[in-house]
Amino acid sequence: MKKSKVKVRICLGTACFVQGGADLLLYNDFLDPEILAECEIEGCSCLEKCKVGGGQAPFVEINGTIYDGVDQEKFVKLLEEAVRA
Amino acid sequence: MIDLNNQYTLMKRKIDTAVVRNFFNDTLVEEADRLPIEIIPKDRVPSRCCIYKERALVRYRILTLLGVDLENDDDEFKPTSRYVSEVIEHSEPKLPLLTTITSGCYGCPKDQYRISDACRGCFARPCMANCPKNAIVFLNGQAHIQEDRCIRCGKCMEVCPFHAVVHIPVPCEEACPVGAIKKNEQGYVEVDHSKCIGCGKCVRSCPFGAIAERSELFHVLKMLKRKEKVTAMIAPAIEGQFPGSLGQIKSALKEAGFTDVFEVAEGAEVTSIKEGEELVEKMKEGNGYMTTSCCSSYMELIPKHLPFLKERYSSTLSPMAYSAQICKKKDPEAKTVFIGPCLAKRVEAARYDEIDGVITFAELAAIFMALDIDVNKMPDADMGNVDSFKDCREYAISGGVAGCVLNRIDNPESVRIMKIDGLDKKTVRLMSTWPKRAPEADLVEVMVCQGGCIAGPGTIVKPQVALRLREQLHKAK
Repeated sequence: MKKSKVKVRICLGTACFVQGGADLLLYNDFLDPEILAECEIEGCSCLEKCKVGGGQAPFVEINGTIYDGVDQEKFVKLLEEAVRA
Repeated sequence: MIDLNNQYTLMKRKIDTAVVRNFFNDTLVEEADRLPIEIIPKDRVPSRCCIYKERALVRYRILTLLGVDLENDDDEFKPTSRYVSEVIEHSEPKLPLLTTITSGCYGCPKDQYRISDACRGCFARPCMANCPKNAIVFLNGQAHIQEDRCIRCGKCMEVCPFHAVVHIPVPCEEACPVGAIKKNEQGYVEVDHSKCIGCGKCVRSCPFGAIAERSELFHVLKMLKRKEKVTAMIAPAIEGQFPGSLGQIKSALKEAGFTDVFEVAEGAEVTSIKEGEELVEKMKEGNGYMTTSCCSSYMELIPKHLPFLKERYSSTLSPMAYSAQICKKKDPEAKTVFIGPCLAKRVEAARYDEIDGVITFAELAAIFMALDIDVNKMPDADMGNVDSFKDCREYAISGGVAGCVLNRIDNPESVRIMKIDGLDKKTVRLMSTWPKRAPEADLVEVMVCQGGCIAGPGTIVKPQVALRLREQLHKAK
């Protein structure tokens, strides 16, 4: 059975965007093409995580789990893990 | 300049947002002295010597955001709250633009070249052969540079096959295109305001955040708080700085309290038309090149460093100036606030009565975050009829100004264009040779920030991100 793609949503709330989230939108440039092919990446409106408190922007949701403080490096690592899982 | 994505930028945004939020909640006076402790809690692992120094620096950042001139008014006995209540009573003067935070400055030693352990002491020894001052000696099989002889030309670094030579710069001095950064007797940074052209490169380059902009934000915050009529004049570079379309940014600005939003691209249309007319005239006269005049930092460069260009730059005003004129004509009562990526624009704006305030995109982001305004969720407001000036939104990108001027004259193909895309020491040297060797062009477009205004010191995202988003927005339309 073909594995379904990893669903990735990058928070585009203003707070996430200005605190580093915007950098993640360059994913075409910094992600390994093999990983990229296994992922469905989209921007989304605020994940509302910042409003509950706890965790640092920017937030990213990968297959339903929300991660915080995601910079490019962490993004790459998280996606690699998700694709291999 | 260091990458925008760094701890200092993030910390600054956090401080700005906290200050603005407290201001709007009327809690800033009582909170001001607590903010440094809240922002740097005691369990934080400090990136300076200790959390206490970090807190002291947070205090200084709050003061610069208030517009306090630290060089002349740094009273350590005065609580931050007193500064706040004073600024709320009457605003600080807007210039000089920059100030230095001495206790933040590392006092970097003079820039130097050093040979690292990677030196293999090779047989060819190109470093030694190419050093014009015979400054390289070999000790224990490795090359060393004799400090007293070295003239910092960097030849050894260029020729070393092992990349063993490192250049350790003084980032602020390296970034400043005009030598306006100096060190005082104690070795700490000072800005020579008589030389400074307000480009903001030093602000963005210091890894310790020791050079800061004296912000004008409070002038504007107070207007918003008093619910005055305020028109936001948004620079063309704003597109791509926030997660959303221009229409959504307009809605967000209105939500934040601005009563009207005006695209500076509309003023850029006037600039393009007039500059086009002037260009055609000048080409007819056959007196050689003319330069653009919309970059405020370049306009500071001319009188301070390259006075011969006084006869060369176009007498056309900048898009900001024309925009302010249009806005004041439409509604003389409404205040005008330019929102852009630029620090030098504040120096320019100080010359016009029609402009009541200038803030940066980064400061606008702090307002949005403080008020929990999510640009992405805003309705896409109508920008009106933009057909005549739509191309002028490209003023934000290197080559865009010349392009818009050419769009508005006959026979654009006969015009030879030259671009000065970003100013550094080398470009200034090149430009200083122009009286002897004029550029082979009719129109010289000068932009002090490399890539254009989208790379300005007050931007939020990297130029690549801004370009990507602009592309997407244009496709969507």
